[in-house]
Amino acid sequence: MGPVEPPGGLLAGAPHPRVAAVGRALPPHWYDQETLLAALGAYWSSRHHNPDRLAALHRAVQVKGRHLALPLEAYPGLDGLGKANDAWIAAATDLGEAAVRDALARAGLGPADVDQLWFVTVTGLAVPSIDARLCNRLRLRREVRRTPVFGLGCAAGAGGTARAADLLRAFPGEVAVMLSVELCSLTLQRDDASIANAVSSGLFGDGAAAVVLTGGERGTTAPRGPEVVATRTVLYPDTEWVMGWEIVDGGFKVLLSGKVPEVVRTRVGPDVDAFLAAHGLARGDVRHWVAHTGGPKVLTAFGEALGLPEQALARSRRSLAELGNLSSASVLFVLGDLLDAGEARPGDLGLLAAMGPGFAAELLLLRW
Amino acid sequence: MTAREQAVAAEIRRIVREELREPGPFADDEELAGRLDSLLLLALVTAVEDRFRVILGADDAARTRSLADLARLVAAREAAPAPGPEAAP
Repeated sequence: MGPVEPPGGLLAGAPHPRVAAVGRALPPHWYDQETLLAALGAYWSSRHHNPDRLAALHRAVQVKGRHLALPLEAYPGLDGLGKANDAWIAAATDLGEAAVRDALARAGLGPADVDQLWFVTVTGLAVPSIDARLCNRLRLRREVRRTPVFGLGCAAGAGGTARAADLLRAFPGEVAVMLSVELCSLTLQRDDASIANAVSSGLFGDGAAAVVLTGGERGTTAPRGPEVVATRTVLYPDTEWVMGWEIVDGGFKVLLSGKVPEVVRTRVGPDVDAFLAAHGLARGDVRHWVAHTGGPKVLTAFGEALGLPEQALARSRRSLAELGNLSSASVLFVLGDLLDAGEARPGDLGLLAAMGPGFAAELLLLRW
Repeated sequence: MTAREQAVAAEIRRIVREELREPGPFADDEELAGRLDSLLLLALVTAVEDRFRVILGADDAARTRSLADLARLVAAREAAPAPGPEAAP
C-alpha cells in the first residue's frame, strides 16, 4: 500500500513547508552550439569513422548554447580526473556561493537564518564537501546541519528539495537551503567517441540553483512561493543500465541509453497518477508542470505519458534550448522561472518532476 | 543475401541488441523505423558507420527500409567505397 494523505486531505494538519525563493547562478563563459561542436570535433575526428555523424547527434539535442565553468581554452589542459576535479571544486564553490546568496536575498533572509544546508551534485567530488566550504564562505552558523548527496543525478534537484521539505516537517521552525551545482563540462571524456558521449556533450551545461525552504511555522517577510504539500520517490526495478557513470581513470564516463524516452513514456504516467490519487487529485487538477529538462525527446515522452498539451512544458523546453540540460539544477531553474513569471495564483497546484539514474523519479506536489 | 551480407546483418543485430538494448528477434525484412525511433536510428547508423568503416548519406537513408536493406548497402559500400573524405587524395 502506498503512502496516503492524513485524514482530512491537503488542508489538514500542520502547515506545510514552503518554497520561499529560488536562486540561480550561471558561469560567465557562454558558447553557442557550433563553437562547442567545433572544439569537440578536433577530438572526434580521429576517434570515429564519420565525425559528421557525431555532429548530427550533437545537433539533434536542440540546444542553442551552454554556459561553461571555464573558458573554452582552459579545457585542453584538464588531462585527467585530478585536474578536472580541482577545477570543479573551485568553480562549484564560487557558483554555489552565488546561487545561495541570490536565493537568500530573494527570500529576504540572511546566512544566519539558515538551519539546514543540503548539497546535491553528480559532476564532481569534494571532501570536505562543498556545503562545508560554503558554511565558511557564507559565514553560516556552526550548528547548521549539512547533508551532501551524490548520485541521484538529474533527479537530485527534485529529490534534494523533497528530502529537505520532508525534514522540515520534523523541524517546522527551521530554514533549509537546498543547493544544486552541476558542472557537466568538467566531466567531459574527450577520448570517448561513443553515441552517449556525442549526445551528452551536446546536451549538458553548467549551472547552480538554490532553493530556500521554510518550515510550516517559520514565516518570512518576502513574497512566498508554493507549499510542498507532498513528495514521492519511485525507483524503477532493473533499470540500472538506463543511465549513470562508469568511473574510469579519466573520470566520469557517461552511460546514457537511447531508451530513456521510452522508459519515461511507459513508466511515468501511472506513478504520477498514483501520487496524485493518494491526495484525492488527478492530472487535470495540476495547473503548473515543472519538468526536468532531460532532452527534447524526454520532454516529449513526459508530455505524452501524461497527455499534456505542448504549452504545459513550454518553460522547460525554453530552458533546455537556452541553457542545455543542467542535470539536477535544471528543474530548479524551471521552478525559478515560474516563480519569476508570477503566473501562479493562490490555490494553484503544481507538480515538480525529475528523473535520474536508478532509474528513478522524484515527484513534488506544490500548492500556491 | 550473400554470405557477407548475412554476416553484416548478424553484426547489425548484435549492435541493436547490445548497444541499443533493443531486445527480441529482428527479422531481415522488418522495417527499422518500425522498431527504432529517430534517435535510435541515428545511433544505429553512427555505430554501423564506425564498425564497418563506411559512410552513409541521406540518399542511402531514403533507400534503406529494412535490416536486410542496410546489410546489403553496407556490404556494397565496403566493396566499393563511395566518394568521401577518405577517398580524396
